[in-house]
Amino acid sequence: MTACVIGVGNELRGDDAVGLAVVRLLEGAEAALRTCEGEPVAMLDLWEGFERVVLVDAMHSGAEPGTIRTIDVGEERLPPELSRASSHLLGVADAVELARTIDRLPPQLTIYAIEGVRYDTGTGLSETAATAAASVAAEIRRSL
Amino acid sequence: MSRTRTIRTDYLARVEGEGGMLVRMRGDEVAEVQLRIYEPPRFFEAFLRGRDYTEAPDITARICGICPVAYQTSACLAMEQLADVTVDGQLRALRRLLYCGEWIESHTLHVFMLHAPDFLGVTSAVELAQVNRELVENALRLKKLGNEIMRVVGGREVHPINVRVGGWYSVPTSETLETLVPELEWAKAAAIDAVEITSGFDFPKLEQEYQFVALDADGEYPIDRGSRLISSTGLDVPISSFLEHVIEEHVEHSNALHATLAGRGTYLVGPLARYALHHDLLSPDARAAAAAAKLEPVVKNPFKSIVVRAVELVHACDEALRLIREYEQPEQPSLPVVPRAGFGHGATEAPRGVCYHRYRLESDGTIADAKIIPPTSQNQKMIEQDLYDFVVAHADLPDEELRLRCEQAIRNYDPCISCATHFLKLEIKRT
Repeated sequence: MTACVIGVGNELRGDDAVGLAVVRLLEGAEAALRTCEGEPVAMLDLWEGFERVVLVDAMHSGAEPGTIRTIDVGEERLPPELSRASSHLLGVADAVELARTIDRLPPQLTIYAIEGVRYDTGTGLSETAATAAASVAAEIRRSL
Repeated sequence: MSRTRTIRTDYLARVEGEGGMLVRMRGDEVAEVQLRIYEPPRFFEAFLRGRDYTEAPDITARICGICPVAYQTSACLAMEQLADVTVDGQLRALRRLLYCGEWIESHTLHVFMLHAPDFLGVTSAVELAQVNRELVENALRLKKLGNEIMRVVGGREVHPINVRVGGWYSVPTSETLETLVPELEWAKAAAIDAVEITSGFDFPKLEQEYQFVALDADGEYPIDRGSRLISSTGLDVPISSFLEHVIEEHVEHSNALHATLAGRGTYLVGPLARYALHHDLLSPDARAAAAAAKLEPVVKNPFKSIVVRAVELVHACDEALRLIREYEQPEQPSLPVVPRAGFGHGATEAPRGVCYHRYRLESDGTIADAKIIPPTSQNQKMIEQDLYDFVVAHADLPDEELRLRCEQAIRNYDPCISCATHFLKLEIKRT
């Protein structure tokens, strides 16, 4: 198995959990399923050895809730607004750029960022985020 | 006519969570310093009410992605204290080992990725990797080891799922733990190097007369438990009376409560406090590393906290090695716990300082009330005092440099603002 899907987020902070929800929806898919619930630098170890990696995270960019942004991480740096896409420490974009600097990016890395509605404490996704999660999960499943 | 200066950081980078800082000056006089924490406070305490006591370790572990073990362990200790159960022997040794994993992970992240850039003239860990790749790669390897300890003992790297009130769901074999030894030996050498490297940094001048507060763990360097709360000013009280001595108050500019010691004022928890109060209990090699770096037994310059963290890294590696060497797999993974009505108290030394929990349980084990006092909320007032004194001493610096130094001063505390509540932003106003 050479593909890995990593959901990033906090289960107890509303729509921040959307990446984790996508990973749950992908159960049985042809990929290693991982979650990153702490700080994102840990992703460098989670994706080690995989040819193709898909990251799913919540974003808080001011876009319309439910907006799905897909980024193929190639030569270009990630847009700065993704640096604070989550409330985690170094930020997903920082972790990706750190990996790039020390040659630890996987050969193929795609990021799905989902604009959430609410990030306050509590379980359960908003309906908007849940719908976006289902759509992202379906797209990832098709692509695997 | 005096000149107004406002120095402000709306979003403070390289701290856990988000918050902000405001310094207001009239000429070269500092009128006001505020550390602002925005996110609405204390949701988790409300979230815990009505839950079963067995759920507290898992729920509180999610308060912070960096120090889940601190929350889990403090919650377990509180529940066990109420049930009159003491987790000791090898079950407790595993708890301390898990906690060493968290210290290694958290201290590494802060020393190398978050705080070192301030001293090395780069703006981030990414830039640091561009100029000193080896340093960052070593940091990642150290951090991975911390994660690995948490995976082997805790069942998962973040939010360990193997932890329960009374002990563990399952315990590792000696052979499994021994697989960690070679990497721990490398880590110890890397940590000793880190003490030497960080001690060579150029430290901004600031000497503070701190009131240091830490747990007392009956002859051990305090990590995973402590029976008493002590201070450099003579406080020495049981953990069960924590709330009689730590007074929390709401301030307008922050969503996290400010803490003081009753009748004693502002205090400091964390590495500087542990080191000052328990220097002699560090492992011999950790003490030797500190001595070689000419680090005094009581450090009063908060910017040197980065060196103290590195010394604690050496200690955490030594402790982990000792615990693995002495490990004998326990027959039972946990002790029976029967809940009863009343108050339970627990405190541990999170990487950032004392993390205190108190729960009130109903007789069936339902949580009726929860109170959690994380280290960053205890340090908030001291952070503001450091900022105030630093700005007074360095008011002649240009705004941009002053702002950067103030941010660095905040990072001395490795503030976990998502624990104190969440989110940070810096502002210096001169009038």
